[in-house]
This record gives sequence, structure tokens and C-alpha cells, in this order.
Amino acid sequence: MIIVIGAGPAGLAAAEAASRNGSDIALIDSSPRVGGQYWRNRGTVKGYRSGRADQLFSKISSAKSITHISEATVWSIEKEGDLFRVNYLQGGEESSLTAEKLILATGAYDRSLPFPGWDKPGSMTPGAAQAMLKGSGVLVGKRVVVAGTGPFLLPVATGLAESGAEIVGLYEANSPIRWLLSLHALLLNPGKFAELFYYGNLLKRFKISLKFNRAVSSFADGSATVSHINSHFMVKSQREKIVHTDVVAVGWGFLPDLTLGGIVGCAQRVDSDGTTIFAVDGEQRSSVENVWIAGEATGIGGADLSLIEGEIAGLSASSQSISPSKRFTRIRKEIFANALKRSYPIGDGWQSWPQESTTICRCEEVTMHEIRESVTELGAEDSRTAKLFTRAGMGLCQGRVCSRNVSEIVGGLTHCSVTDGERIASSNRPIASPISLGLLGDGKK
Amino acid sequence: MQNPDAIVIGAGIVGASVALSLTNAGFKVLVIDRGAVSSGTTGAGEGNILVSDKDPGPELTLALRSRDLWFEMQEDVGDAFELEAKGGVVVARNDDGPLMKLSSEQSLHGVTIQKLDHASLHELEPYLDQRYQSGVFYPQDAQCQPMLAAAHVIRAVVRRGGAFISQAKVTKIHVREGAVTGIETSQGSFSAPIIVNATGTWAGELAQMAGSHLPIAPRKGFILVTEPTKKYVFHKVYDSDYVANVASSDADLQTSTVVEGTRAGTILIGASRERVGFDGSMNYEILRRLAAQATSLFPILRDVQLLRAYRGFRPYAPDHLPVIGEDATVKGLWHSAGHEGAGIGLAPGSAALITDAILGREQFMDPSPFSPQRFLSMGIEKVLS
Repeated sequence: MIIVIGAGPAGLAAAEAASRNGSDIALIDSSPRVGGQYWRNRGTVKGYRSGRADQLFSKISSAKSITHISEATVWSIEKEGDLFRVNYLQGGEESSLTAEKLILATGAYDRSLPFPGWDKPGSMTPGAAQAMLKGSGVLVGKRVVVAGTGPFLLPVATGLAESGAEIVGLYEANSPIRWLLSLHALLLNPGKFAELFYYGNLLKRFKISLKFNRAVSSFADGSATVSHINSHFMVKSQREKIVHTDVVAVGWGFLPDLTLGGIVGCAQRVDSDGTTIFAVDGEQRSSVENVWIAGEATGIGGADLSLIEGEIAGLSASSQSISPSKRFTRIRKEIFANALKRSYPIGDGWQSWPQESTTICRCEEVTMHEIRESVTELGAEDSRTAKLFTRAGMGLCQGRVCSRNVSEIVGGLTHCSVTDGERIASSNRPIASPISLGLLGDGKK
Repeated sequence: MQNPDAIVIGAGIVGASVALSLTNAGFKVLVIDRGAVSSGTTGAGEGNILVSDKDPGPELTLALRSRDLWFEMQEDVGDAFELEAKGGVVVARNDDGPLMKLSSEQSLHGVTIQKLDHASLHELEPYLDQRYQSGVFYPQDAQCQPMLAAAHVIRAVVRRGGAFISQAKVTKIHVREGAVTGIETSQGSFSAPIIVNATGTWAGELAQMAGSHLPIAPRKGFILVTEPTKKYVFHKVYDSDYVANVASSDADLQTSTVVEGTRAGTILIGASRERVGFDGSMNYEILRRLAAQATSLFPILRDVQLLRAYRGFRPYAPDHLPVIGEDATVKGLWHSAGHEGAGIGLAPGSAALITDAILGREQFMDPSPFSPQRFLSMGIEKVLS
């Protein structure tokens, strides 16, 4: 038996590939339907090349050896001899499953950077705006600004426009000139030109103009301040514009969800863009025997890379052979993913956006001022001590939103770059998802 | 600071307290740590300042004085570490004989107690399971935020002429003619005639560098942290089994739950003990037992969500007493370590014992039960077992 956790592109591809030789598979996911966050599925999936998603969905639902366990949230994984016991919550009960092999495809979530007003109603991540639209058909507002960095802003802006929102601004923080360093990646992935053309047409159709080197530097009461920024993300003074909008959807790339692999003890490393990810080999094997990891948790790369990583993980976990062409496809997609990291970097200048009163940790309401004081007055030198002094990262989200920002702010204040060890330690969360004390205690032996 | 009067190794609450008390006695003190402030056991503690869990004896005497010194330390450096005389409530479900006997003895040794019948117990803790028949209230039990306390105390030391160097790993302790002369660290060499070892779980390793030895080992403990809730728990509440557990040297896993609310609104559930080496892995079975015990004390907590769990390592000596005093063989090397789960509470009292001994002042108690000398009479095999 193989347990696949996560039913986004990587997990679905893994389950489908592993089922080809009849292996028994349990596919666990927290949503009612398969698809994950990117293909958030309400019967059909809209967007670029969504046919791939539909194909995969039908293969999964018709495969007899795949059991889909939906609306199940995994809160912990334990090792019992040679087996992994996956403990999950479903319908107000705790259940568990055991298997010899695990494939983790836990995906990623949007990265937020703090600016004055980022925590106010009306400010959200592009992923949240898209989730509301695709997941429940709700449009987040009439007038929307989409901003941040990365190609994901395009499907979000055009998707919202197709559903009737007025996109009053689409702002990319980086310059397109960066792509000149990565032309080889585009040439290796010519399909990307078609994707760009597809979104270019949609932007034209909805009269959305994409502006570069700009960021939302503050937001309050229906007005967003849009500033010109330099390549390090420092705001160029005197060049700003007020845009009236109901919503600002601001996202700064993605952070992988490392919680479950961390619980199992899979070795992590720091990617070229400073993101903590899992180290895997050419067949997506993690450092822990019988645990494979695929998709965003092994490096942010988008759905295309996730699909091939998932397929390779599924084949490897079910002891099927992996053709050289699949291995080459993975390398080709990885080259493109690396080009994305080079083309959409996050400049340290964002650390100058928050004011002293700006919230850095939303769950515990910790401000920039408190973090600064923990460093200058109390001697915090890393995110762990800053967190112990201020409670930043100790709330409901367990630092998923703020812990990387806190590390980098503390690094900036102490003039010490954040060490790999610190980046890796901050993803350690033994309770992957909240569980009631009652259920927890009832499960004791 | 190349030539301080004293070097304190370890910037947890134990080291910070010694540094402050020496500074206040006129010493120029250098504090160093292999990490940052509070990066060891202090950073994984609940902040317990307890007298209720101690049997009459030297540790209780130390705890009582130390508890008062906590409030003096707050007056000295400022109200910035959430020190609160919250009070402890120890409850008994069935046979309250052992608890009542212990508390009577404690009261003869200076502990303030108030015996509770069913009605007064449930008045103090209205959400406690009705099956608990009786208990004892200990108003002296207190609580602080230990990481903040260590940070503020070290800040005061630095403001009063001391120095603090972080990320400095000790690589060598120089001993000449049986006395310490200085240390080498990853951040440079320093000489001083007095070196205080306040390195908690690493204290044995440090003693070894000076050619001495201390039998201090780590004991793992877990703490559960819930989501913020309405105030359901008003004191530190624990089952009377806890007291028996603290004094146990049984190597098997034992759990006994202490439940308390914090200012942030979260509920902390702690006090499991497991004697292991430095194995950092999470043990979900312990979390389940802690949760089961907490909900049996407070059934209303069944629906409260657990958000976090963390583990720390408590340094302990074979006889479960702290090690406070000058090294048995190396002059000028002082130890304040091995406080197990009571390091926060016992820190300022231990510091006072050391400072008074160094100055030759009269001490508030006979410190010989804590003396590092006591391990000399034990065979080395026994020490290491």
C-alpha cells in the first residue's frame, strides 16, 4: 500500500502513475474534490490547458486500486516498525491509515510580505482571491488590484476579469528584462510561448495593462498606494499613484508546505532563492527510506513541473521503470523553474516597507516595532529568539505566513544573513493541523 | 572585555541570574553563550516558580528564598517579564492522604498552604471536574516568561558595566596549578579567575573541559500549547501524582500533567518526563497521555484545539538536586546547573548562594547538599550510569 498525501497536480500524477501496475493507493486530501489549490475543482476546471486536469481526474476516479479519502486533514505521521501511521481528522473524528510507503505532495501557499495595510480587510493573496472564485464562485470585489511578482498574477488577474471584476491595476514588481538571462529556458520549453500568448490575449481582451517595477506600498480604506520600486524593491520616492480599489490581491511567489515531511524527518535544503525545500534524488526519493516527495515541496516550479515530478515519484514508489524521456522532461521543466526564480526574485528592500506600527505576525498581532526591539533591546539574533520574545509565529498559522519574513527582518536588523540551519529549523511543526484535546486524548493506547 | 572579574558561561535564566548577582556585588562580568539569549532549556520552559512540588528539605528552602528573590529581581531590573504570583492548586481525585500529609509538612517549613474541601476547590477552579474531592492551594507558586526574564536580566548586566557575547562556543578552559585562569572560545580568548558554568544540559561537557566531571544528563519534557480560549484555568493546576513523579528516578516514561492558562489566553499543558539522551523526536503517545490527563482534570478543554507542541531538555543530576558551588577539584570553577524542571524557579536563589560563597558572605542556607563535592564519594561508574 502507498499513501499519497495531497491531490493537486503532483499527488494526482503520483497516484495515477503508481496505480498503473495495480498498486493499492490511498489518496488523502483536505478538499471535497481532487485538484488541489491550483486546479480547484467544482466539477470542471477553467483556465489554460485545463484539459490535462480533466483527464487526470477521470483516470483517478476510474482506477480501482485508488481510494480517495477526501476532506481529511493529516495532523501527524508516526513510524511504527516498517510502517508509517498517518493520523488524520475527518468529519470530527480521528482516523489513521498505515502503509509501507508514502508520497508527500503537500504543495505550497502564497508568500505575503508586510506593508502598511496588508492585514486590513480587502487585502488578500492572489491565491485566496482565486480560491474564492474557483472554490466557491465568489468574486472578491468589483474593483481589484493584482500585484506582487511572478507569472501566477496573470491567471489570477484574467480569471477575475473573466468573472466580471474590473482589474484596476496589474503590477509586477520585477522587470521583464530579467528574462534575457533565461532565454535558454524558454527555448527548451517552447510551450511557454503559447501560454504567454494565451494570457497576452486575455489581457488585451479585458484591457488590462501590465505595469512593471511597481508594488502596492500601502492600502487603506479602498485606496492603494502604488509605488515605483528599483530592482532591490526599494521604493523610489516621489513616484507614487493612488488607485481606488475594493481589493488588493498581493502575492510574492510561493512557500512550500514542509510540515508533514518535517514530521517524518526528511532532510531539507535551501533553494537558490532562499526557500526551504526537501532534498530529493532523481526519482523524488527523500532522505527517509520509503518516502517520496513531489511537487512544490521539492522546489517551487508550478503545475508542469509538479506533474512530471508526481509521475516519477509514483512510478518509483510502485517499482515501475522510469523512461529516460521522463527524466529529461523533468530536467527541462526544472530549468524553466529555475528561470522563474531568477526572473522573479524578492529584493530585500521590502524590509523598508513596514512602518513601526505595521503588523508582521497577524495571528499574534506583533508589530515591526516589537520585532525591532527584540533585536536592539533584548538581544534576539535569529527568528527563534525573536519569536520567543515577541510571540511572532506562535499563533494559529504556526508561522506559515510570517516566519520567513521575521527571519529576514531579524537578519536585516542584525546585518547577518539568515543561515540555512535557521531557515530549516523554522519549518519544524510537530502538530501539522490543530486537533482538539478531546480527540487527541481519546487516541491514547 | 578582555579581562573581566568573572565569566559566566550560559545565557539562560540560571547564568543571567548569577551574572546579575555578581554585577550587583561589584564584579565586572562577561556572559557568553554558544547561541543567543535563552536558546537552551530556558527557551523551552513554562516559567514555573514552584514551591508546592518540593518535599521539605534543602531544595524547598532554596525554592522559598529563590521565589522571593524573583520579586526582588523584578524590582531591580523592571517589570518586563510577566512575573505573577498566580498560585498553584494541587488536587486529589480519590485518596488525598499523601497530599494532605505533604502539605502539612510543607507548612511547617515556611510554605503557605490552604487546604480545600470540595466547595472551596471548585470555587477556585470552577471548570475542574467535579469528581475531584479536595485539594491544596499554594499562593506562593508563581509564573514568569523565562525567555524575556533572561533577556532583561542580561540587558541590565550589560547596562551596569558587564558584557555579553553570543554565538561563542567554549573550546578550552585553562587551568593552572589547579585553578582556572581563562577560556578560549570561537569568539576569542578571555581570562578571569572566576568562571561560572551555567550551561544546563551541557554542564557535564564543560566540566570535562576543565578536567573535572559532573554527572548531569538531559531529561526530555513536552509542552502542549492550545489556541487562545476563554479563561477556564485560573491557577497552575496539577494532580498530586506530579509530586511523586518529580522525585522519581524511574527511567521509564511517566507523565503527570500540569495545566495552566497564560496571559496570551493559551493553555499550557506540561510536565511529562522521559529520561533519554539528546533525541529530539516527537513522541505522539506522550502528547495523547498529556491531553487525556488535562481533559480529565478539565473536561471543558475537550473541545479546545491543540496548536503547538514543543520539547525541551531538562538537565538533572542522579540525586535530582541542583549542583551549586565551587568545583570539587578545580578552584575558581563554579557550577550552577542541573536544576531539572525547576531551573527558572531556583535560578536567583542559586545565584545568591554562589555570589555569597565567592565573597565569603553569610549564606541564607547551608549549601552543602548542592555541593559538587557530593559526587566525589560516588564511584565514577555510578556517576555515569
